[in-house]
Amino acid sequence: MTVRRIEVRERVMERNDALARDVRARLTGIGVPAFNLVSSPGSGKTLLLERTLQDLNGEMRIAIITGDVQTQNDADRIAQWTDNLVQAVVTGGACHLDARQVTQALEALELSTLDLLFIENVGNLVCPASWDLGETAKIVLFSVTEGEDKPVKYPKMFQQARYVVINKTDLLPHLSFDVDLAKAYAREVNPDLEFFETSALTGSGMEAWYDFLRAQARRPIGVT
Amino acid sequence: MHEMSVAMEICRIAEDQVGLDALCHVREIGVVVGRTSGVEPESLRFCLEALLANEPFRGARPTLELTSGDDLRVHYLEIDDDRPPH
Repeated sequence: MTVRRIEVRERVMERNDALARDVRARLTGIGVPAFNLVSSPGSGKTLLLERTLQDLNGEMRIAIITGDVQTQNDADRIAQWTDNLVQAVVTGGACHLDARQVTQALEALELSTLDLLFIENVGNLVCPASWDLGETAKIVLFSVTEGEDKPVKYPKMFQQARYVVINKTDLLPHLSFDVDLAKAYAREVNPDLEFFETSALTGSGMEAWYDFLRAQARRPIGVT
Repeated sequence: MHEMSVAMEICRIAEDQVGLDALCHVREIGVVVGRTSGVEPESLRFCLEALLANEPFRGARPTLELTSGDDLRVHYLEIDDDRPPH
């Protein structure tokens, strides 16, 4: 028996993190902010993006990368609202997007024509927290049909995020969900979080979300 | 952190090191797991055992070395070149 030992000493996340650094450098270099949208399944990421595209499509050029375990249903839904590319990544079982997939998806996008990029991650509040995609910031969607204590149950995701969108607020009259308590839990794990309260269905609260995106979007070349 | 995704990444690193065709010769994979790395060691071991039991591996053994800190890395691979292929 001939047994040999190979010293590897590679961080498990090293390759992903190196690719993420490349993605971040590329996007930063061209001035396109990229937001990694993360949440539990069913919290309304796709509808928020549909509504955003519907309302802002004439105003800024937004591209979307969507990740799903199977099907490109979300990409198909989003694509009807924009002429910009919607890149569907089917992970084939993996519960998160990684920087390699984002790198590949970027190849199909003409970044110089974009003002903003959204990455709709796989619905999962655990795994995507560990995978840097090279984004500008993570935005957690948190719908009012979930428990107020989601942030303390999934602290890593809320620690890594910069913004929280409390979504489906049109359902608040029918639920016992306490928005202030949810925010208090979120601030417990990350005091720097900024909040939006939206209903992508009715449009309530969307104007503040749009103002935020307007402030973040790349200023068109030549405009000061 | 979701241990199965970490286990899959460890398998990818092994493939990077030795190539797909040689994965059947891997006898042991040494992994350093920090106590604050966000990984539950027994869950990671379980996931690795499940992946390593199947092709392209051939029953390689995961050996986890628990340390303090947040380190999470593949330390070494043991290869048995005489192991018959599938």
